[in-house]
Amino acid sequence: MLEVGRLLRAEGRYAARGGSVPVRSLAAILVLAGFLHGAVMGSYGGKLLQPLFSGLKVPLFVVVSTLVCLPNFFVLNTLLGLRDDFAAAVRGVFAAQATLGVALAGMAPLVLVFYLSVDDYRTAVVGNGLVFALATLAGQVTLDRHYAALVARDARHRIGRFAWLALYVFVAIQAAWVLRPFVGRPGLPSQFLRDDPWSNAYVVVARYVWAAWRHALG
Amino acid sequence: MGFSLREVDRVLRGTYTRREELAEGRIHVPARTLVTASLVLGALYGLFMGLYAVIGPVPGPRFRQLLMTTAKVPLLFLLTLLVTFPSLYVFSALSGSRLSARDTLRLLLVAIAVNLAVLASFAPVTGFFTLSTGSYPFMIVLNVVFFTIAGLVGLVFLWKALNAVFGARPGALEEGDEFETSAPGERRSRAVLVIWTAIYALVGAQMGWILRPFIGAPYLGFQYFRQRELNFFQGFLRALGRLLDVD
Repeated sequence: MLEVGRLLRAEGRYAARGGSVPVRSLAAILVLAGFLHGAVMGSYGGKLLQPLFSGLKVPLFVVVSTLVCLPNFFVLNTLLGLRDDFAAAVRGVFAAQATLGVALAGMAPLVLVFYLSVDDYRTAVVGNGLVFALATLAGQVTLDRHYAALVARDARHRIGRFAWLALYVFVAIQAAWVLRPFVGRPGLPSQFLRDDPWSNAYVVVARYVWAAWRHALG
Repeated sequence: MGFSLREVDRVLRGTYTRREELAEGRIHVPARTLVTASLVLGALYGLFMGLYAVIGPVPGPRFRQLLMTTAKVPLLFLLTLLVTFPSLYVFSALSGSRLSARDTLRLLLVAIAVNLAVLASFAPVTGFFTLSTGSYPFMIVLNVVFFTIAGLVGLVFLWKALNAVFGARPGALEEGDEFETSAPGERRSRAVLVIWTAIYALVGAQMGWILRPFIGAPYLGFQYFRQRELNFFQGFLRALGRLLDVD
């Protein structure tokens, strides 16, 4: 807990500065906190294995989405002439992802109470979406702290941060779609992945929007 | 000189395109190094782009399509340069560029290497979506978006380099008339950039169309090259329509 407090306050080895990135401790925090939240998230249907599956998938979701976007972040920072600050930027990104995990774990009891208050699966899914959105904002607070000094030094860091966020969100939405179910629909058996995991979130949404548009036009 | 990540790193950091050297019309990097770097970076992206043929629902010899795409991506950029370079050099020289033909080629190769480095950095994202979606039209649109972003970054890089070539004449700052000297230079560099971009983008888009398939359509068998039909822009709009299931 002491480590978590330091992370949230950006103190000690989690302070906003350059130097080596405390990858192991950040990963440990993310995995533990993510597992805790995932386990609670998967408890909606009252199934035995879904909490375990969702517990494993929450940290996996964050790690995969982050790693897939890192090469582009590296190239962009180099192109912007910000290579000397790259370690500090990565430190900020990793700390933000660990903060996201901690925020999720912190909101896990809220999710439990929420589950006790609703009996509709869709509402449970939407509620969890809001919790993830809030946790992402919490991660952005940490990223803000790390980037404040960087932006003060060079305003081009704003571009690097925006590009990171845009690509990360784009990938994370698809990663969340592929790794579903997280909540677990009641009446269905526990699943690590859906039977049709290899579909595309954006294609599905685009078709829904298009169909709604055509329906509206008659 | 062969390919090394250090050379790519220098290109990205702008070591070879320093303002003062560009203003004197010099670029100190062997063209062979840039060509090798472009081949490797383009092949890396091509490998991930062609993965759809191996994993996705494409009939026929899957690994042959993967190999073809790996080869075609770097070729797309280098063949486009080969076709457009003479006209690009003529227009830049007409605009008063201090760069020799060899240095103009090097500058364009640097921009292509930057373009391909950005594209290669998207390779894990392309790989991730290839693994997680079977939608062929989505993969087309995604690749067009990534090629466009990488191209725009390459253009910004080129724009800065051209500003240095045309704008900052040695001694201008000492003479104290920076604005007088740099404003016409900036206009010239903008004109050259617009002409270069128009020629390169049009030829590049059509070259990409000629060299297709890159991904491999699930409803067609393996082909080295498709038959000539439509053009890039008509094809892109058709893919968008299929994505939305428009009749």
